[in-house]
Amino acid sequence: MEIQTEQFTAAVKRELQNARSRAFLKVMPPVLNMKRDIGLSTFPNIDAAQAYGAAIRQEAMARLPELLEEFEKNALANGAKVFWARDAKEANETILQLAKERGVKYVTKGKSMVTEEMGLNEILSKNGIEPWETDLGEFIAQQLHRPPFHIVGPAINVAVEEVCDLFMAKANMKEPTLDPVQLGYAARLFLRDKFHHVQMGITGVNMAVAETGTIINVENEGNIRLTKSSPKTQVSVMSLEKVVPTMKDALHMIRLLSRNCTGQKLTAYVSMDSGPKKKDEIDGPAELFILIIDNGRTKIYQDLKARDALRCIRCAACLNICPVYGQIGGYAYGWAYSGPMGQVLNPLLLGLDRTQDLYRATTLCGACKSVCPVGIDHPSMFLYYRSKDVLGDPYWKGKKRPSSEKRFFKAWISAVTRAWLWNLGIRMVRPLINKDAHDGVISKMKGPFQGWFRTRDLPAMAAKTFHDRWKEIKKI
Amino acid sequence: MKNVSLFIPCTVDLFLPHIGEATVTLLRRLGINPVYHEEQTCCGQPAINAGYQKEAQKAAKHFIKVFGDDEQVVSPSGSCVCTVKYHYPELFENEPEWRRRAEELAPRMFELSQYLVDVLNVEDVGASFAGKVTYHESCHILRGLGVSEQPKKLIKAVQGTQLVPLNAAESCCGFGGEFANNFPDISESMVKDKVENYLSSGADLLLLCEPGCLLNIGGFLSRNHPGKKAMHLANFLAPNGREGQ
Repeated sequence: MEIQTEQFTAAVKRELQNARSRAFLKVMPPVLNMKRDIGLSTFPNIDAAQAYGAAIRQEAMARLPELLEEFEKNALANGAKVFWARDAKEANETILQLAKERGVKYVTKGKSMVTEEMGLNEILSKNGIEPWETDLGEFIAQQLHRPPFHIVGPAINVAVEEVCDLFMAKANMKEPTLDPVQLGYAARLFLRDKFHHVQMGITGVNMAVAETGTIINVENEGNIRLTKSSPKTQVSVMSLEKVVPTMKDALHMIRLLSRNCTGQKLTAYVSMDSGPKKKDEIDGPAELFILIIDNGRTKIYQDLKARDALRCIRCAACLNICPVYGQIGGYAYGWAYSGPMGQVLNPLLLGLDRTQDLYRATTLCGACKSVCPVGIDHPSMFLYYRSKDVLGDPYWKGKKRPSSEKRFFKAWISAVTRAWLWNLGIRMVRPLINKDAHDGVISKMKGPFQGWFRTRDLPAMAAKTFHDRWKEIKKI
Repeated sequence: MKNVSLFIPCTVDLFLPHIGEATVTLLRRLGINPVYHEEQTCCGQPAINAGYQKEAQKAAKHFIKVFGDDEQVVSPSGSCVCTVKYHYPELFENEPEWRRRAEELAPRMFELSQYLVDVLNVEDVGASFAGKVTYHESCHILRGLGVSEQPKKLIKAVQGTQLVPLNAAESCCGFGGEFANNFPDISESMVKDKVENYLSSGADLLLLCEPGCLLNIGGFLSRNHPGKKAMHLANFLAPNGREGQ
């Protein structure tokens, strides 16, 4: 997938004027939040359930190398073949080679953010192997050549009219219709045919269980199950943080994921694969490849503060509650991961230099943190990224800030630590700030604070600050 | 008379001093003697939020020097209280002595409504206002300090006042300090939603406890809906302070 994180501001402008996105964002997040609340209320103690999830993910991250070894050992014992890829290039090449060796013409895919991160579809297409996304939303997004609007519902914002036009143009159906069921049916017919002859299926992994070597997928459409069970060859791509210690842990994480994601107690389909088809079994893939991809995770793992980002289970609760996502939707984030989880992950995966807007376009309101089932403190992460950026930190590719900003904070701090200078500074700055004040209100100001004044006034700087007034008040 | 130390944030000091005055009036009326250290400046929140940690550490040290020995510190700004309570200890990861001092100060910091209700055990401050009001939950006060019931109790006890619900009261108003200036498109859209919810609430007045939110929402109202007002709770509760904003 093309990375467009640098175009955040332009995409924001565009999306804020997109009537369709706006109308949609007014409705969707509140509905999803309500579903989540209802789903979570089925836990006897919601806080305890969430805290338990945070503890499981924290433990998994603390023991990551050991758990991955254990997972590999058990997966191999189950008959799976395990590949390791340091980066997207290695991962893509491995999959491409597997496909070529088997003379595969096309593959079906289950929705997987990590393959979006890798840009796998583009690589496969370039090499003459057609990737077919089989999740309905992803199928639509793929054909529209758009990034996901939402990590759970990638095309959730696309109008039925647009889907109809698309399916007609791509000859997925013969008669136009606006009936969502009929549209879904058209996609289904098309994809059923693909499943029928598929040789290789590629999916992501929601959870990997170290103690059993099992990989788990959750979904609601059944397409992942078909992608995993129809072909002879199954390839499951897993970013290395997906591992949890035990099956019991995995089951709790699935309960949490479903409830936080769609409000369901459990998704319609949960598939667990522990190895390929055995001799006495009648279905399932003849060969199962598990590709464990790093792509920057080890680097994240080595920074104790950044490591918390690896807890994320992609439930999207943070997107649905985020007031910024609620205004701009998912396109502006410019990559596979959007909303607060994207603001946390993308800077670590892409570098602070390419993602400055992501970790700065937040009011630090903490709504994301308040719903996170794995205990990620998003605001704290954003502050960490900002501080690394200011320092021009080489490890995370900090970009450094404009010299005017640095000068401002240097001057500011010399005043903050000396009250006499602070109060003198106020007296000196006041006439400049109040230059255009009328009736105690400033409505315009040139310079670095123009953004504020576009739609807002500011009270004029008080003729007497509280500090000045105190001299009178204290006598009363 | 019991003394309490006042922390007046820079936004209040420079742009909204009437909030500080109302805080003093209110506390005195409740038999508390507010003490203002003239050496105080800014808590350092702008530097923390912008990523200037070294500068923030200096600001924090100054703050701790000024307030470190006080029994209790009260402030009409929850986000500044959060800065001292939660960010100061983090800032001194490698300076144990300063970290200790920061951690000792943290539990002695109070947001105004929290101080009135939880420490002074006061709900009725003797104010009256005939009309409907609604309350905006500021992020740092709600999620940072867990303070939500306290201001509502104070409002409900005001004679003649009806507290009406605000749709999406818990949604951020779009201030976020530098965010409002650096991402005006998003911020504008957020504050517009907040104000629309206020207008449709039927309230005569929007109350809040955070000066930053007041600058944002009040600034948007001043430009686009000059007839409607937002007001800090201190100005609502203090006598003769209601026309403050």
